[in-house]
Amino acid sequence: MKHILKLIQITLFIAIIAAGCDTADLHNMNLDPNAVQQIDMNYFLTASELGMASNGSAGDDNYTDWRTNINFASFAIQHFAMTGSSSGEKYFDGDVEPCEAPFQFYYRDALKRTAEIIKQTTTGGFYAGRLINTRQAARIIRVFDFHRLTDFYGSIPYFEANKGLSAVFQPKYDKQKDIYADMLKELDEACAAFDANEPDYKAFKAADFIFNGDISKWQKFGYSLMLRLAMRVSNVDATMSSTYVTKAVAGGTMASNDDNVWVKCATGPSLWADYNGISRAFYPGDGGSWQDHLLSKTLIDQLKGPNVASTADDDPRLMIFTGGIVEWTLASINPIQLDPLKQLGEDVGLDGAQINQKYGVGSPPSAIPYKIFSSVNFKMMQFDESYQIMNAAESEFLKAEALVRGIGSGITGTAQSHYETGVKLAMQLYTVYDASFVVTDAQVNAYLATYPYNSATALQQIGTQMWLSKFMMWQDEWADWRRTGFPVLTPSNYPGNSTGGTIPRKLTIPSVEAAGNPNYAAGSTQPDKLTSKVWWDGGNE
Amino acid sequence: MKMKQLLTCLRSQGKLMLFTTFLTLFTCATSLAQERKVTGTVKSTEDNSPMAGVNVLIKGATTGTITDINGSFSIVVPGNNTTLAFSFIGFNTQEVPVGEKSTFSVLMAPASQQLGEVVVTALGIERSQKSLQSSVTKVPGMSLTAARENNLGSSIQGRVAGVNVTKSATGPAGSSRVIIRGNKSIGGDNQPLYVIDGIPMDNSQFGQVGVWGGTDQGDGLTSINPEDIESVTVLKGAAAAALYGSRGGFGVINITTKKGTLKKGIGIEFNSNYVFENVYRLDNLQHVYGPGGATANPADPTGDYIYSKPTTQQEAYDWGAGSMWGPKLDGSPVVQFDGVVRPYSYAGDNWSRFYRTGSTWTNSLAITGGNDKQSFRFSFSDQKENFIIPNSDFKKRNASLSTNGKFGNKITFNAKVLYSNEDMNNRSLLGDSPGNAPIAIWTLANTVNVMDLYGDPNKPGAVPIGVTTPDLKSVGEEFQQSNNNWLQNPWWSAYQITNRNVRDRFITSGNIRYDILDWLYVQAQIGMDYYTRNSNSLSPQGTGYDRTGGKSNTSNFVREINQEWMLGVKKGFGKFNVNAFVGGNKMQRQAENIQVSGNVFQVPFFTSVNNTQNQAISYGFSKSGINSLYGSAELSYGGYLFLTGTGRNDWFSVLNPKNNSKFYPSLGGSFVFTDAFKSAMPDWLSFGKVRAAWGQVATANVGAYSVNPTYSLLGAGHLNIPMGTFSFGDNIPNPDLSPAISREFEVGTELRFLSGRAGIEFTYYDQKTTDDILSATISQASGFNSTSVNIGQLTNKGIELLITVTPVVGKITWDVSLNVAQNVNKVVELSPGVTRLFEDEPRTRTVGIYQVVGLPFGEILGYKQKVDPASGKKVFDETGSPVRSDVYEDLGNGIAKFTGGLTNTIILEPFQT
Repeated sequence: MKHILKLIQITLFIAIIAAGCDTADLHNMNLDPNAVQQIDMNYFLTASELGMASNGSAGDDNYTDWRTNINFASFAIQHFAMTGSSSGEKYFDGDVEPCEAPFQFYYRDALKRTAEIIKQTTTGGFYAGRLINTRQAARIIRVFDFHRLTDFYGSIPYFEANKGLSAVFQPKYDKQKDIYADMLKELDEACAAFDANEPDYKAFKAADFIFNGDISKWQKFGYSLMLRLAMRVSNVDATMSSTYVTKAVAGGTMASNDDNVWVKCATGPSLWADYNGISRAFYPGDGGSWQDHLLSKTLIDQLKGPNVASTADDDPRLMIFTGGIVEWTLASINPIQLDPLKQLGEDVGLDGAQINQKYGVGSPPSAIPYKIFSSVNFKMMQFDESYQIMNAAESEFLKAEALVRGIGSGITGTAQSHYETGVKLAMQLYTVYDASFVVTDAQVNAYLATYPYNSATALQQIGTQMWLSKFMMWQDEWADWRRTGFPVLTPSNYPGNSTGGTIPRKLTIPSVEAAGNPNYAAGSTQPDKLTSKVWWDGGNE
Repeated sequence: MKMKQLLTCLRSQGKLMLFTTFLTLFTCATSLAQERKVTGTVKSTEDNSPMAGVNVLIKGATTGTITDINGSFSIVVPGNNTTLAFSFIGFNTQEVPVGEKSTFSVLMAPASQQLGEVVVTALGIERSQKSLQSSVTKVPGMSLTAARENNLGSSIQGRVAGVNVTKSATGPAGSSRVIIRGNKSIGGDNQPLYVIDGIPMDNSQFGQVGVWGGTDQGDGLTSINPEDIESVTVLKGAAAAALYGSRGGFGVINITTKKGTLKKGIGIEFNSNYVFENVYRLDNLQHVYGPGGATANPADPTGDYIYSKPTTQQEAYDWGAGSMWGPKLDGSPVVQFDGVVRPYSYAGDNWSRFYRTGSTWTNSLAITGGNDKQSFRFSFSDQKENFIIPNSDFKKRNASLSTNGKFGNKITFNAKVLYSNEDMNNRSLLGDSPGNAPIAIWTLANTVNVMDLYGDPNKPGAVPIGVTTPDLKSVGEEFQQSNNNWLQNPWWSAYQITNRNVRDRFITSGNIRYDILDWLYVQAQIGMDYYTRNSNSLSPQGTGYDRTGGKSNTSNFVREINQEWMLGVKKGFGKFNVNAFVGGNKMQRQAENIQVSGNVFQVPFFTSVNNTQNQAISYGFSKSGINSLYGSAELSYGGYLFLTGTGRNDWFSVLNPKNNSKFYPSLGGSFVFTDAFKSAMPDWLSFGKVRAAWGQVATANVGAYSVNPTYSLLGAGHLNIPMGTFSFGDNIPNPDLSPAISREFEVGTELRFLSGRAGIEFTYYDQKTTDDILSATISQASGFNSTSVNIGQLTNKGIELLITVTPVVGKITWDVSLNVAQNVNKVVELSPGVTRLFEDEPRTRTVGIYQVVGLPFGEILGYKQKVDPASGKKVFDETGSPVRSDVYEDLGNGIAKFTGGLTNTIILEPFQT
């Protein structure tokens, strides 16, 4: 009897445990205390805004800048030169990182977050019908990132992109023409849909560290971007171009340097997210690129003007872009040559031996490039420097060009007036970097007097000034240059280069994507080579 | 009720050190009553040898004694009507009526006819070797300490057929990779479950070297003191491990720790051990040509290059590493990186100047003692190891206390605590070049003596006073040998780029068993593995790639608790015997980490994280659990035919409720034909058995919180504005994920010849993994890198052979044991349309490890020299350099197909006194 009682007890004991095997406790355990089921999409907007600069809000704020903007584009458009081999400077295709970086980083940063903002503010999302302004800002940021991507690669995943969470794992590629049509439509809709009176406006204002909720500035940014996109397709689709030039002008583009788009950076909390990625790439000891990215002969010669013996014809930006010939260490800046007349740009496309040969002393001749050539101005390369996204000068130049070429309607003023306003705005925008970078109205006027607007060579003048106005935004200028052909650049032709001595027209898609996405072969811009042209550059749709 | 109270006690005390509870709970009471004294000796039926430590009890009383070393005892009995009970673990209890006799000669027989060699199988169940239906190999603890390895994994290398152990040269506290019967999962870690006295232990890795460098942060196995191990049993196949269900997919390594024996007296064991090691291979680098540059000749662009020596300190610095394009070494005076002119000739072997002789010094002490009711074992061990790379060392202290005993005749218990303190200084940075000392020596200009890089004698690797470097470094900053900021001065790497981890760990367990009836028992067990790990790593100010410096301090807290119960029967019905049980387990694992990091040091060379300009804090938490029910039934007939079936069901916290339940069955049988047909067997065949088994287990664990998409904050915000992101990084969660399944069938035979002097054990197995969880690479245009899917398939087929011979028996016994195994592994399926899955690659980006359908796990693909398809000849370009193949080709595989080991054991009989 005693044993039977015990058996019953034990059986009961087991039964209790057995019943508890698939418990609510077990299910609740899988709720991450550090995560939430829903989140304020304004937090995504802040991350998207930071992501627009450097694409590193979640990880590496100097990866794409270092590789694509600096190591590729700044060389391709000849703002810089180096003795080493770079795909942008000597046109080798062996270094794949500059080509792969945007594809690898853009989709996974601001684009991913803006896609989520748009999804959650659309019907079915947990903010459906709300966060009106957050949604419009996200749409503009999305277009900004996407236009860069398609300008780099041509046809890319667009309509099916950033839908991984809806199980679209291998998105289809879309033609650049269709992407442009949609981006322009998006900008048009987004700019019109802002509403400062909606109930969520306050939260948007708090999250928006670029414009602090200033809707008119968002609209100017959107319409300026629309103008850029519309002009970009001007060589291949006159209808699309003129329709949206007209719309952009009617909507109102950026008109003063207060309208410029800057992403404020900070020295913390994270080295990898909050810093200015361009500064990191140049800074001694971190990226340390300053000593092998020296200002090119093309750029310095342009800034110094034809009379090398006089500063009278110099561009006021000469001693803004360069801090002179210096030795820049973490501890100090040791000037070697600060005289504007003695600034020297590095020849594009030469290697170390050729530089030794040309500039070296001793036997055999030996030269240290940074001791001979002008380097980038450290005063615009501090870690917490604001990151330039877009400036007002560009809209003025584009309006000037549109007037010259007769694209669109509704542009008031003359090509000359827009050109001259553009030059002024471009020269006076640099005080954001350093208070000493002041260019007075008198200096601007003197420059315009020295180099007067000439309707016969207007397009070349406009192209050249746009080229000068995009210091730091080399990747965007590379697109401008491909479209306008100005300024006329002499390509390098280093032995063994992959483009036959021509400046690259396109980036190649990452090999992992090419091998992994079954839609790549039929959908991407082919041949997938540095020399292929994207649609608006005269390539396939 | 007693049972229940004890269980309650056990549960409530679970988090405390159980052994102390038990030590105070039970005390021995002895009462004395004098009638008359009897004496006697106890011997074993096995070899007629005297048995020490046998309990001699007066039945019905609490009086008793134990036999001495000669098997003798003397006890006072109350009268002639007394019965003496003789008991000893593993032997049948004998009851002898006293009657008129005053001297006794008692023979004790082993408890079970089938006992033979006892092996600890799944869930700590002891079973006889001959009843096992799958291959289970036992490694005695002695062989683990004879040629000492710090890592338990490494120490079983070559001991067990089918177990492949690899360890990279990552230093003393590096991890080891133990693969049992091949890699079974692409997504999983393929590492077996380690179980100490029935309680699973945590074997988490804290980081490995990858394409961007890093350190091997070690695994959980280094905590175990080899001196504490009685034996290690390897459960290789799915059938053997099926009772571990979702955790047994990669096999199970059962560790049985040493315990005190139930006998009187104190035993002391002291062990001291010294091992030294040297670098095995010092590669012979060329010393014909020196550092310099090669440039095309402008006068003759297609002709030979111009090769030049450094002419300035700057040039020497530019060509200081990996730029061996100078002319032939000629002894001429040439300036070096530090501005000093030295002969342009080979500087000698820098490897041996940099590396040192490594050493390990271990001292351990063990004390055992007790009485017939309770025993204990205490051990302490201290180990200090100096790595071959200077300034890198590992210190470890282990202490353990275990006790076991019995309470009356029906309750047995044991409790144990293992403590370890591990202190690893300066794990080497490997892989990519930053902070990597060996790469720095490898690439150093061959005219430079590595001792000239030593710099400041008080701060090795730093710029000394009075030296101006081409990169204008300050005194105390890194003394670079070249302009490559990502290649460090090796002394700087060894002495200034430092890191340290200290782990304090407790593995405790308590087990209590109550024999309700002769044939019915219940037992309960609780175990906890808890550790804290404090680590820091310093990237000092002045380092080439990180001039402003940075530091991080991290604390990890990991706890795994297992609560188990089991109800078992063991009963004979004529020739039939049943050995069955049901049980349950509740496992919970929790991991927490706090990291504080900062960069840009403010006060120069003051390396505290508090001294940094930018500081960040991060906090991580994860908790997961598995509830399980299981049962096993073994039916035997006549002691020669065995049939076993097991089943386990697991419920997971980490999976969504619709698919969080999984069942794992196994079935097997063994037949000892030499026992079944005794008369028909030849004399030379002393034992023969055939066996077959099938089982199903799971092969991959899914991490906590990884199946459902959620949101979290991104970093610490920007400009004090919070930023949001997805909480799952770059891998899209899959809500439908379920564990991968591994099914395995095996057959085998065990034969022993000439009274056991020779033996053969042979096994064939056929394993298949389905629904393997793959992190399938997807287009980055999706916004992510990968998604987890149940899709992969792998197979492993192989044979294992163990041959044992004992050529000499007597005063010297010599055992030879040879094991060999072959495993054929194949990746059968990846994601639809995917034939190749990338795993990892080095920075050269010219070779990588891939999973390729149709090829074995972990195939190496890379560029080869191009071969002309028409002629079959290798292709060279016009300058005579080999031409690279257009695409990656199959280069081979780094995982051994054949593994084996040969062990010789020679035991000298102790000298008789």
